[in-house]
Amino acid sequence: MLRMRDVMRLYRTDSVETVALDGIDLDIAAGEFVAIMGPSGCGKSTLLNVIGLLDSPTGGSYVFDTTEVAGLGEAKLAEFRKANIGFIFQSFNLVDELTVRDNIELALLYHDVSARERRARTEEVMDRVGIAHRARHRPSQLSGGQQQRVAVARALVAAPKLILADEPTGNLDTNHGEEVMRMLQQLNGEGSTIVMVTHSPAHADYASRVVNMLDGRILQERRRAA
Amino acid sequence: MWRNYVTVAINALAKNRVYSVINLLGLAIGMAACLLILAFIRYETSFDRWLPDAENTYQFQTYFPNPRDGPPAFLQMASYVAEERLKKDFPQVESTVYVLSGSPTIVKDGKVATTEDYLIADGDLLSVINLPLLRGSKTALNAPDNAVLTHSEAIRQFGTDDVVGRTISLIQKGKTYDYRINAVLADLPKDSHLKINGVFRRDFTSYFAQEPEFLTCWGCQSGWIYAKLKPGTDPDTLNAQLPAWEKRNIPDENFGGTRYNTGDDADWKFVNVRDVHLGKAQAATMSPGNDRGTIATFAIIALLILSMAVVNFTNLATARAGKRAREVALRKVLGATRKQLIAQFVGESLLVALIAVVIALALSELLIRPFAAFLDADLTFDYVGSGGMLLPAIALVIIVGLLGGLYPAFFLSRFQPASVLKANKSSAETPGSGRLRSVLVVGQFAISIALIICTAVVYGQTVYARSVDPGYKRDHILQVDNLSRYQLIGRGEQLAERMKRIPGVVAVGRTDIGVATMNNSNSGVLVPGRTEPVTLGRYRVDAGFKDAMGLKVVAGRWFDPARPMDDQSTSFPETPAEIRALVARGSNVVVNEYAARKLGARNPQDVIGKTVRLGMGADYGEMPITIVGVVKDSRFRSVREPLDPIMFLGTREGTTHMVIRYDGDPATVRAGVERVWNQAVSDVPFEAKFSEAIVEDLYEAEERRAQIFAGFAILAVVIACLGLFGLAAFTAERRTKEIGIRKVLGARTLDIVRLLVWQFSRPVLVANLIAWPIAWWVMRDWLNGFDTRMALTPLPFLVAGGVALGIAVATIAGHAFKVARANPIKALRYE
Repeated sequence: MLRMRDVMRLYRTDSVETVALDGIDLDIAAGEFVAIMGPSGCGKSTLLNVIGLLDSPTGGSYVFDTTEVAGLGEAKLAEFRKANIGFIFQSFNLVDELTVRDNIELALLYHDVSARERRARTEEVMDRVGIAHRARHRPSQLSGGQQQRVAVARALVAAPKLILADEPTGNLDTNHGEEVMRMLQQLNGEGSTIVMVTHSPAHADYASRVVNMLDGRILQERRRAA
Repeated sequence: MWRNYVTVAINALAKNRVYSVINLLGLAIGMAACLLILAFIRYETSFDRWLPDAENTYQFQTYFPNPRDGPPAFLQMASYVAEERLKKDFPQVESTVYVLSGSPTIVKDGKVATTEDYLIADGDLLSVINLPLLRGSKTALNAPDNAVLTHSEAIRQFGTDDVVGRTISLIQKGKTYDYRINAVLADLPKDSHLKINGVFRRDFTSYFAQEPEFLTCWGCQSGWIYAKLKPGTDPDTLNAQLPAWEKRNIPDENFGGTRYNTGDDADWKFVNVRDVHLGKAQAATMSPGNDRGTIATFAIIALLILSMAVVNFTNLATARAGKRAREVALRKVLGATRKQLIAQFVGESLLVALIAVVIALALSELLIRPFAAFLDADLTFDYVGSGGMLLPAIALVIIVGLLGGLYPAFFLSRFQPASVLKANKSSAETPGSGRLRSVLVVGQFAISIALIICTAVVYGQTVYARSVDPGYKRDHILQVDNLSRYQLIGRGEQLAERMKRIPGVVAVGRTDIGVATMNNSNSGVLVPGRTEPVTLGRYRVDAGFKDAMGLKVVAGRWFDPARPMDDQSTSFPETPAEIRALVARGSNVVVNEYAARKLGARNPQDVIGKTVRLGMGADYGEMPITIVGVVKDSRFRSVREPLDPIMFLGTREGTTHMVIRYDGDPATVRAGVERVWNQAVSDVPFEAKFSEAIVEDLYEAEERRAQIFAGFAILAVVIACLGLFGLAAFTAERRTKEIGIRKVLGARTLDIVRLLVWQFSRPVLVANLIAWPIAWWVMRDWLNGFDTRMALTPLPFLVAGGVALGIAVATIAGHAFKVARANPIKALRYE
């Protein structure tokens, strides 16, 4: 599904040049569940942002499906992202002023989808993650686990090819964390491709492949025995 | 404690420069507007308070509250005969004087020159109006042929103000009179209803020997009566005695067999000189007055603008409340009471108001001179004394500080420390505060939109007034004044003939009514079958008038010099025998359409050949007049004034103006006319104006009003936009996360911009719903003051709404683009 070769990401300020990604080679096939691990500052989140087209590499090649996306402009990237990628964040990033239903539907608002279909797909995905009974609630009225379910539902509703999760359990207690991981595993079982950044080895074990990073490079890759 | 508060307050101001600048600038503009308007209001209400003895000095005014015919009229002038009777009948009246305003020709070294604002007094004006003197004594006007000049006028005429004892010669009523200058007056300040360059005392009995009816006519309001009342006199008691006084003094007259008394329609009143400028009577004034309504309007608008600035202050304070939630929580945890917190925040707002007022005072000092020049007023800006600005400035600080600070203070001090600290939120938003902000923004834009509409309508009416079809051809006319001077009596026709021969001159007419001439002359006409007389304007014109003015005859014919019955010329002064012969003979007249309607005609043709009777005064009875023509209605005056029903009387002599229609170069024609005038008339100065310039002057007041409204509207819009800018900045900051989410979910920059722009456009659109009906109501009322007016179409309303929306969008678009283009990673990575 995606193929990265010698991907670089440099950050420059007036006096300092920071290498966030230093020659990343990475292939991810459709249907994989990849966990990215590593210490703070190793470049996990930068890699996830580059994969998610929220950030552009400063060097190298990145082919998504069959398209070279490394040099695309902002508008094209936005289009590509919209069509292919869903995001789940550590801090949920729900809009406080909107209800659960509206938060999920937001992801379809910028797609060419009729209101009726938006409604139907939102209901369906709420059922799927088990949050339908809180549809009219605001995020502030939900527990952390429930908020992350809403975030997952929002990532799913547009039926992306790839789901990116940035420490999805970082803000959750153990029970809720496990609950979210089980849900991601279930989604992967149903065919979704997932790339997740995590600090937790236990949660990494849910993935089919674990990529370890250090100082902007991939140190080691490990596949879980099927 | 307080040092800590001040430090925190100054740090808060310094840290949030955008908010501080918006608050300070908005408040300073609002306060400066208030201070300047206050200076203006003080000026307008200070008129004639400087006059020594003002409390006992009165003007005697004539009112026609419910005339039988035409609109109510309130005149500052009164009739000469009233002054005589006042002196006789009221012991409370210490002294009186009757003054006529004139611009007699002055003769100096054999040359003639024009004058302005010379008063001709029948008595000792200085014993009634205690005008300050620079030279000479208070007895300077104690006998006829005495005169006083103001300092400036003395310098203008003699090059020095050392003129006591000198002689000044004036041509009045065709004769040269020598006056001895006995005193020099200090120049009158602008805040006076009096406009005087010189006062010349004459004996009126001999002065009006050729027009003796002037001395006894109750209906001739030609000058002003001033009276000094004995100290302690209650003017209300005196005014209450006037109805009985008028019954005792005004004789009945007989008009067409009907009893008529001038007192039936008229009332009189003693008005203190300090109340004349803003008084009820604003017709027949010595200098233009003002009305309390206009001043109140300005005051209200200034307060509205200030309140808009206060709203910005409150709005931004509550919007940013979340930013200070942690500080409040910490202080509470450390033991601060709610009262102490309120005191702290109100203190901060007082500090902001204090800084703003200092800027406002500086702005006012800078702007007071141009503002005064624009208003043609002597505005002063002092800090202490009766007109001092220090106290109002302190009051502004307290009022604005409290108004702007109290709500945010209560709002901020309400935060519960536990929840604020636990939530660790950076942008806590209390429910309801957003709604209040929206309501306040709607209010601000409603004011701005209403002011833009007012500006558009006032300006539109000015344009309309200048361009509306007056019923005659108003352009390409040179109007020559001074034709009524005694020196020119009997020479008008010959002069007109010479003017016609000037190259470029197309037609020449002579008239009592021309382009916005001041003459106002009415007469009663008796129509067969009706008991009440019909009042018509009565103006003398010559045969050339129709072509010179471009009048259109709609029925019958215009005057024909070959027909004796078309001509009512008499010699000057008229002899009783002449008038009797004329009354016995009768005469032809031409009327306008409105007069024809007033005479009962359905269409103009109906009155042709009809004979009615024209009142010629008690001694002569009525003259039969036959209507031979009807001309299209013409607006000779401002569109503020109602259309005149006019009866034109044909004459060869005795008119006040000459109207010259020309084609070709105006300057060349004017030069030709002036040359001919100076050759023919050596003893009357040449004074002429182009019709275009006259019309320009006529609507200057409206134009000025439009400019004032425009100024206010700009201030209002600037302040409203400052507030919106601040709120947009705040919102963009608060919604950064949400916008990040939307972008990650696929929103384009344009989607985000649209979202934010719509959020801020909504209150502006809602504001229209409030502004439109209010502006419509106010402007309809204002337009009703004009006899003919532009249609109040939706256009100014839509334009104002559009302009406000456009400015609002432009204000926030910058913010919207900035946040919409920001990389969402930054917004989403950290909470």
